[in-house]
Amino acid sequence: MEEKILEILAEKCGVEPEDLKEDMDIDLFEEGLLDSFAMLGLLVDFDEQLGVKIEITELERSEINTPNKVIECLSKRG
Amino acid sequence: MVPFDSLIWFYILIAALIPAAVLGFLGKPIKYYGAVVTFLFLLLIFNTPTKFLYLSLFAVWQLALVKVFPLVLKKINKRPILWLFVLLSLVPMLINKFRVEIGGSVFGILGLSYLSFRAIQVIIDTYDGLIGKIKVFDFLYFILFFPCISSGPIDRSRRFTKELETPYSKEEYRELFEKGVWKLFAGAFYNFVLSNLIYSYWLTPLDKGFLADVSYMYGYTLFLFFNFAGYSLMAIGTAHILGVKLPDNFNMPFAALDMKDFWSRWHISLSTWLRDYVYSRFVMSALKGKWFKNPYTASYIGYVITMMTMGLWHGLETHYIVYGAYHGLLMCVNDILDNKVKGFKKLKRNPKWQPLFCLITIHLFSFGLLIFSGRLF
Repeated sequence: MEEKILEILAEKCGVEPEDLKEDMDIDLFEEGLLDSFAMLGLLVDFDEQLGVKIEITELERSEINTPNKVIECLSKRG
Repeated sequence: MVPFDSLIWFYILIAALIPAAVLGFLGKPIKYYGAVVTFLFLLLIFNTPTKFLYLSLFAVWQLALVKVFPLVLKKINKRPILWLFVLLSLVPMLINKFRVEIGGSVFGILGLSYLSFRAIQVIIDTYDGLIGKIKVFDFLYFILFFPCISSGPIDRSRRFTKELETPYSKEEYRELFEKGVWKLFAGAFYNFVLSNLIYSYWLTPLDKGFLADVSYMYGYTLFLFFNFAGYSLMAIGTAHILGVKLPDNFNMPFAALDMKDFWSRWHISLSTWLRDYVYSRFVMSALKGKWFKNPYTASYIGYVITMMTMGLWHGLETHYIVYGAYHGLLMCVNDILDNKVKGFKKLKRNPKWQPLFCLITIHLFSFGLLIFSGRLF
């Protein structure tokens, strides 16, 4: 599951999963890897590929701004 | 009585806030007292039988909708039901905006568009399964909470009710109170001193003509900022003292680097509401349904729809519609520059270039506000 999440996330950020693994607490928005539009695409991908449905209004940005938080957030719902 | 407008309002307000502060400093919940104060202030604000009747009808109508909606959803959980209920919730505002004349304006109550947005948020969140059962008291207190009734900020129901359930400790309240008093005074200074001075000495004496229009553009932008940000601060400050941490509505808009940044700093509670409930929902539906070949198209159309909604929300007059279209276009251009022009985003982060970005953004939104003011139409 974790691998798959990272794969989807990396694709949206335009990097390799290995790059993300280097720093799992990096702020994806501050680094310019994600913006709000990419975030929406990410939620759609999680729904379609992992069957985890998350509404954008469920989350504060601070709850999903690093790879670790993304994984944590999805595992809680998965 | 117009909220936050006269000395007498402030006398009554201060008298009403003292018991709230006493409760807060004792670490007791303020919500029931806050509800009584809200009711009394509603009587003062909606001070004719007709106005109060409209307000009551509005509240009962919205309450009925949020109560019936989950029951209907249990039987038929389909998206068109959501659309139907959003539309029903908009009915009073639509009646008012189209000014169906039956002996004067109908539902001409202060803050109608703000009230409607708060109610719609509850309906959409219920559809998303984010709100379980909403209590009558919580709902009415949320939509009618008097400090923000006429001009926002537009709070979110889940934040609001969560706060009602967990009252602040004495220490937390002290901090909230201090912030509240500060915001109330800062807001009064913005609104009564700065915005009034600009209005009387800058805007009023202006003649007609191109140069006057240019001067009006700068003056009106500053006037509106101090007027509206000041009003928001007074509302937020009052709410803080009543133990409700209303979200901030302005955050140094003149420091915005681009239009996207501007909308995260100006009338924040409206722009984030539109972002969450119009733009994001549209884009996610479009991506899921693969409506467009290029995913960015979804974003561009989303921006135009969102900004047009914002324009129409202000009113149906031409200048509001043009204002919405203008901002929709700017957001698209903003996005295209960010995505297509290599190094553009990097340039924006470079401190040497930032003053230039700021200056351009100020002019873009000031021109927008000149459209908004209606002076050109």
